Amino acid sequence: METLNCLGMRCPLPVIALAKELSTKVIGSQITLLSDDPASEPDLKAWARMTGNSVVSLGANSFEVTKLAD
Amino acid sequence: MALPHIFEVAWPDPAKLGVDSKSAAILLNEARETFAGHLGVKSEEISFLGEPSLGFHLGISGLIGAQNRLVFSNIDRMEVFAISEKFSSFQLKASTAGQIDYADLRESDVATLQLCNRETGTIQLSRPNNCAGLFVDATGSGTRIKLPDNWSTALWDSTSWAGPSGLGILAISKSAKWQNPLPHLDSRINPGPTSLPLIVASALAIDSWVADEKNLAAKIAAINSEIRSYLSLKIPDCDLAPGGADHLLSASFLYVNAEQLVTVLADKGFAVDSGSACSAVNMQPSHVLAALGTLTQGNIRLTIHHGTSFEDVQKFLQVLEETIAELRA
Repeated sequence: METLNCLGMRCPLPVIALAKELSTKVIGSQITLLSDDPASEPDLKAWARMTGNSVVSLGANSFEVTKLAD
Repeated sequence: MALPHIFEVAWPDPAKLGVDSKSAAILLNEARETFAGHLGVKSEEISFLGEPSLGFHLGISGLIGAQNRLVFSNIDRMEVFAISEKFSSFQLKASTAGQIDYADLRESDVATLQLCNRETGTIQLSRPNNCAGLFVDATGSGTRIKLPDNWSTALWDSTSWAGPSGLGILAISKSAKWQNPLPHLDSRINPGPTSLPLIVASALAIDSWVADEKNLAAKIAAINSEIRSYLSLKIPDCDLAPGGADHLLSASFLYVNAEQLVTVLADKGFAVDSGSACSAVNMQPSHVLAALGTLTQGNIRLTIHHGTSFEDVQKFLQVLEETIAELRA
């Protein structure tokens, strides 16, 4: 699975980088996002709810993102 | 009474003897009666605090004995989180609508109740019953929401009624089992003395605020509703925190840097606060937004004052929409 390394980036950059990366992917694509920003945990969940995508926290600053909507 | 005049007449210590002090004591008693009337407590239950946040410690720690557990919520203020570290405690989780389920409360628990969250305006509808003590945080609601009958201690902030900052009002119910958690030698609740001019100014402010609120509450509600509807319809990827109180509103915008947003809005003449990590001193996102599942990035908090007009709001919304589009580009 592709990994998007956003370690060291601060909010809202990880979510912006994720949205940009996903815009080039087909529905069903999965990405592992790495982010140590304290806002990423709540914001990735909120982003998934708002955009209709899926985010699962894997712990240790790692998130599994599945594109479910354009 | 104008503020400079208050400073002229309210300088003596009301506790001393002498004509000036007697006049000051009368002013203090009148202020106490004024607050008691508006806040729904007895005048002798009221204490004034020069540091409003000290009221959390006094109001909560004073209720907790060796056999009590503190039950608080994840949308309580950080002052409550800090106090919870000192005691056996249990944190309840708010629903995404901001509501707390107190069903598992034990009779020996001391509970906290936040009538209205001052960041988001979320109004708490549930009420903790059957507990040993109840601390009510009324710092976000002011006089807007009545105390529940079983309150033990309650805290207000003078800024809630557009009074001077730096003044808290703590009420300790005559029926509460409360012991002063501060070092003390007599029955005084806080070391004091609290500024009498601020107390008098705040009493005048609450009188005037309550009178104005009767006429202006409907306008504030209409403005809140207009802002919510504009944000939902005109600005894409906007996340509104669960509200309830008409004077407060918290909105977050996806892909927007809150620090930039707040700075640009300030440059254009609009003062707004933010709960985003990039605008916080500790670089942590608002624990309230995170607990409610609301987006924490690109967050702004709005307070609608009595003086806020529809024209102000229309101009603000236009500037906000343009600024967000620019920041996202």
